[in-house]
Amino acid sequence: MAYILIGIISGIVSGSGMGGGTILILCLSMFMGMDQHKAQATNLVFFVPTSISAILVNLKQKIIRWDVAIPVCITGMIGACIGAFISSKTAVGELKKIFGIFLLLVALFEIYKLIKEYIIDKKRHNNIINEKEEEK
Amino acid sequence: MWKKIAIGIVAGFINGFFASGGGMILVPSFIYLLSLNQKEARATSIFCILPMVIVSSFFYYKNNYIDWKLGIMCAIGGIVGGIIGAKLLKNVSDKILRIAFTIFLLYVSIKMII
Repeated sequence: MAYILIGIISGIVSGSGMGGGTILILCLSMFMGMDQHKAQATNLVFFVPTSISAILVNLKQKIIRWDVAIPVCITGMIGACIGAFISSKTAVGELKKIFGIFLLLVALFEIYKLIKEYIIDKKRHNNIINEKEEEK
Repeated sequence: MWKKIAIGIVAGFINGFFASGGGMILVPSFIYLLSLNQKEARATSIFCILPMVIVSSFFYYKNNYIDWKLGIMCAIGGIVGGIIGAKLLKNVSDKILRIAFTIFLLYVSIKMII
């Protein structure tokens, strides 16, 4: 039951485009005490059915850019082989630490984006006020 | 073309190594480096991650890391969550969700590293 709940949370996060997979892996390894490798493998199983419905919708709406998708798919599979091979040879404790560093970078990038958006919003807001004052 | 090849290899490597995170690399790369719009970037990234996931699964499967039962239970939750998310995100500002997510990530990542 706990697993279904974790799935639900990850599904909600996925919709906002912030990496539902990372949340799933985190919950499995932190709260359920799963091995990092096993938690990551679970995310692979999780991804296939949850993504296929999204892909079908996108195919129907014709918003997939094939000129980008095809080269990225091909080179991506090569990269994935290398990554997965190295990962499977990495010790559990180390993998968990590297994953932590990766998450920290993701969080910092997200903070950077939020600040940037805040500044843009503020500028726009100030411009509107200035324009109104000029009209007066 | 070189940009696309490089993006694919980097995202593939990350997605293979962590079994996640491909989208976090692909979506911003597509937007900032290849100037796709947000919608196209998201749609194209999900499509690109699927073959990466299938290829990496082979390595995880060979090392006996895959627990099918748990994976399927999580996936059932994931489908339900996806539907809830799609409805919820229309109402709740996704900025609040993003800030909450970021704080959670910061806390957890530091805990994992230490």
